Amino acid sequence: MRFRYMHETVLALMIVLACIVMATQSAQFLTGANLLNQGRLMAEVAIVAFIMTFVIASGGIDLSVGSIMGLAAVLTGVFWQDLGIPLPLVLPLVLIVGLCCGLFNAFIITKFNFPPLIATLGTLALYRGLAEGISRAKSVRGYPEWFSVIGQGNVLGLPTQIWIILLFFVLCAFVLGTTRWGRTVYAMGASEQAARFAGLPVDQTKMAIYAASGFASALAGIIFVSRVSTTRSDMGVGLELDVITAVVLGGTSIFGGRGTIIGTALGLMLIQTLESGLSLAGVKGDGTIVLIGVVLILALLMSNLSERRMRH
Amino acid sequence: MTFAPDRNATPATAPKSLLTRLRAEYGHELLVAAAILLLIIAVGAYNERFISARNLNSILSGNAYIAVAAIGMTMVIVIREIDLSVGALIGVLSTVSGLVAVSDAPLWMAWAAPVILGAVISGLTGVIVAYAGIPSIVVTLGTMAILQGGLIAATGGAWINDLPPEYQIAKLNVLGIPMPLVWAIALTVAAAVWMKLSVFGRSLYLIGGNAEAARAVGVPVRRRIVQVFAIHGAFAGLATILFATQLQVIQSTVPPNLELLVITAAVIGGVSILGGAGTVIGASLAAILFAVIGAALVFINVSAYWLRAFIGLLILVTVLADMIRRQREMAKGGM
Amino acid sequence: METPALLTVRGVSKSFGRVRAIDGVDFTLRAGEVQALMGENGAGKSTLVKILAGMQSPDSGTITLNGRPVTLPDPGSATRAGIATVHQELLLFGELTVAENIFSGHYPRRAWGAIDWPGMRRRARELLAELDCHDLDVDAKVRTLSVAMRQRVEIARALNQQAKVLILDEPTASLSERDAEKLLSIVDQLRARGTGIIYVSHRMKEIFRIADSMTVLRDGKLVGTLDRVGATEADLIRMMVGREIGQVFPKLPARIGKPVLEVEGLAHGRLVQDATFTVRAGEILGVAGLVGSGRTELAHVLFGITPATRGTIRIDGNEVRIASPRAARDAGIAYVPEDRGGQGLVKPMAIRENLSIAVLDRLSSFAGFVRRGNEREMAQAAFDRIGVRAAGIEQPVGELSGGNQQKVVIAKWLETAPKVLILDEPTRGVDVGAKAEIHRLMGEMAQQGLAILMISSELPEVLALSDRVMVIAEGRITAIIDRAQATPEHVAQAMTAQQSAPTQRKTTA
Repeated sequence: MRFRYMHETVLALMIVLACIVMATQSAQFLTGANLLNQGRLMAEVAIVAFIMTFVIASGGIDLSVGSIMGLAAVLTGVFWQDLGIPLPLVLPLVLIVGLCCGLFNAFIITKFNFPPLIATLGTLALYRGLAEGISRAKSVRGYPEWFSVIGQGNVLGLPTQIWIILLFFVLCAFVLGTTRWGRTVYAMGASEQAARFAGLPVDQTKMAIYAASGFASALAGIIFVSRVSTTRSDMGVGLELDVITAVVLGGTSIFGGRGTIIGTALGLMLIQTLESGLSLAGVKGDGTIVLIGVVLILALLMSNLSERRMRH
Repeated sequence: MTFAPDRNATPATAPKSLLTRLRAEYGHELLVAAAILLLIIAVGAYNERFISARNLNSILSGNAYIAVAAIGMTMVIVIREIDLSVGALIGVLSTVSGLVAVSDAPLWMAWAAPVILGAVISGLTGVIVAYAGIPSIVVTLGTMAILQGGLIAATGGAWINDLPPEYQIAKLNVLGIPMPLVWAIALTVAAAVWMKLSVFGRSLYLIGGNAEAARAVGVPVRRRIVQVFAIHGAFAGLATILFATQLQVIQSTVPPNLELLVITAAVIGGVSILGGAGTVIGASLAAILFAVIGAALVFINVSAYWLRAFIGLLILVTVLADMIRRQREMAKGGM
Repeated sequence: METPALLTVRGVSKSFGRVRAIDGVDFTLRAGEVQALMGENGAGKSTLVKILAGMQSPDSGTITLNGRPVTLPDPGSATRAGIATVHQELLLFGELTVAENIFSGHYPRRAWGAIDWPGMRRRARELLAELDCHDLDVDAKVRTLSVAMRQRVEIARALNQQAKVLILDEPTASLSERDAEKLLSIVDQLRARGTGIIYVSHRMKEIFRIADSMTVLRDGKLVGTLDRVGATEADLIRMMVGREIGQVFPKLPARIGKPVLEVEGLAHGRLVQDATFTVRAGEILGVAGLVGSGRTELAHVLFGITPATRGTIRIDGNEVRIASPRAARDAGIAYVPEDRGGQGLVKPMAIRENLSIAVLDRLSSFAGFVRRGNEREMAQAAFDRIGVRAAGIEQPVGELSGGNQQKVVIAKWLETAPKVLILDEPTRGVDVGAKAEIHRLMGEMAQQGLAILMISSELPEVLALSDRVMVIAEGRITAIIDRAQATPEHVAQAMTAQQSAPTQRKTTA
């Protein structure tokens, strides 16, 4: 059966099913307030996941996103409190740092032929280590009122994060699905050599993708700090797990060459629904990562099976 | 018709002497050993207490478990896979070991359980990698989450007290040498011999070097992958014994940074991340090197908070050297 | 007097899904016989080889070795039965030594089960000496060796396995003339020892030099087996293709115009040194040379894969800097690579996407939005013009045959409106029918004023199509010969010309 949007349809059905189940368990679940709040909670993972779709579809991977998020969080505190830089200036600075972290990843991947896996494993340690070293386990508090609008406030009646998610979604879907850079990403994922030999700007595209990944991770860090009004060096630990699971669940092949933003969005929604269902059932925060792990492995197995079927 | 000489031919040589060959084959390992010695001497010159027998003893035997874990990880990396979940696995196995120790079961089960359970859990991972064809990087990302989350969810982070004194075999000495060190050395030597002299051991290098060619010479690749992961799990179990039996209290948490340390030890020890090369000796020695570095940092008053950053930097630099070497070979028309 | 059959294959068939790869094939191999196995791409040769090597199992049929039926469920069983295979893609382990590569899979063991390393190294040296390879160090890592050396390691492997049957799959595809000759003398040696050899190739000259008989497959079926005595090339081609091929290489006349590509003093590394030449509009410049002489490397410099470190390139009289394939394309240079599957095409993508991939920026708006309608039109037009045999432009290009894939690659580059077209081994792995079509295409492009560089290892092809032949040896251009003076001897001499007298040769580190 070669129905083109099979995967996305199945996901959508599962989300609807999960929502129905949740609704029967708790009257609160399907209320507007709750759904919007769910959106708020998944902002950090969502924006990084949309960019990660590009990364994985291009045949790469970025394990350092959580560490960049943590570093961004720490630097927000350090720039503002220790260095006294005004907060409106700190935010773009932090975003630039995130961009640079991503560029560094891209640099060693393109210039030295590092497998992305090991490059970002190394920078995962490096960036997290920098965060730990700089912050020395102190946490920063006391951010100004306006700052928490990002993470806790509303714009035009919807949580700020929803707007940010929507913006990212539209941009990413447009770029990946309809532009030549999106085509380049898919070509690179399917055969990097052939893409190079066709004159496509492979190295530049990689730089852009990893830089964007760093940028999104830093933004996620800022949003998170704003949401919880504090800074700690262990923020973002495990982000890569949530993000990669959402992307793979959404139908992106881990080998590259396939994947859509809509799929990732659906994957995110499904995971969020399952997670909130678990917490409604009383499972503690740490227990939910077991769920993510299981979902990841199942999603990989299913993706593999469908790839094999397509090949025959 | 005269033909041009084959410029690409390797120049004629008489068989090289044993010493030359040993140096060519184990050069990297010797380098790591030299680094350990140099570091100890350097820090010892700065602060005499560093080279005291008691201090060295505590560093070596306290961290011997990392070397043992690195042995199993080497085998996994040689076949061109990776295991991000080894830290979480050791955390789980420690808790299991502790729970068995404080229960009514015979004490030897507290030592056997982690080894067997480790082999089973890791073997399952191997099955998914081998038979579902999914890259181990993402599978072990998932198993890491399952193990880590499962541990916290099941135990709530509780501590295991009241461990029977007989359990703590790490504190014993064999002929004056602490037990963990003896075990680490014995296991490393045994594994090294096995990787060099057994057909099974060599087959790992074949798989990692060129899986298709390995299949063509009759190596049962998929079965081997499962076996290697299982053996790696068993080594994680052995490492757990060395780790848990030194403690007064077993915390039901995952030792921080552990998977990173183990992987980095293998990579620094000369095991190429692209598979097919490197020895367990190098990995073991590199694990010891890290232990010395970690202790040295404390001795020279550098904040321990920078340790993780340092490890990250080390991985990047070592792999960089490997990549540059390969790039140079590519340019000369190599594989 | 007939020697008894060594290997008999009867009624062997194998299907992959709905495709019948081989259908009821019989053949017989005698001890001390070299039998060539021939056929177009897709004829079933590689499937048959894989079955005999134990990598595939036949659906039906029998294989008999020395009178006894054998089953070959895995490669190990084939080795044990005495069938050794040297595949086209060498299956070696780069990080391991020559000795270990020779013995991988069947290490010599000591009494207590451990691998006998000293014994292994000693025996490896003996084997290499038998093959007259005294200059190969058994402790060298295989990744440091040249292709010809690596192949000798593979053959030493086969020797070591006391193979009764040796299968060689396109063994000279990547070898220089001299190394190929060395290989053939080894085959002679083995034949004299009583080994039966299956020699898969479509190089006529070699086949007539070495084979005792030729078996031809077509569309999975056995067409026939000919004795070398009395067989002609025409006979074999007819059997492979099923029709008379009049002229395999039609040379279309083209008007030769002004210089389009002028290269002066171009250099990069060891294999491209001081290249100076010109290609004019409508001209086909054949590029001949031994493998490893630097032809593909020159193409890579011209195309920006490995930019020049010295020298100048001029297109239509204007100097251009070519630092990347994109720059090459913009300057009007197109390159159809040697490695079609890995470099020329993105196999999982549709024909349409492969056709547009080099001109995506021209098909998209300022914001990067790709105009689908334009793309489809363009792709359909190119598809029809070039005559690709496929289900439609949405078919994944990986499903096409070698010849049709090559047509897609050429069409892709024609879309960029190039002035210079570089073709690297354009008809390698392409069946005879498609080969003629590609040659015709080249002629037509020349007629339209393109300047064409054709790199080829098939001397007949080079001689038949080129207006001039440029010969490269060890990174230097040793001769540029006009069509009238281009004879096989002249070209071969230039290919093997030494760069300098022995006393003057510099030693390089």
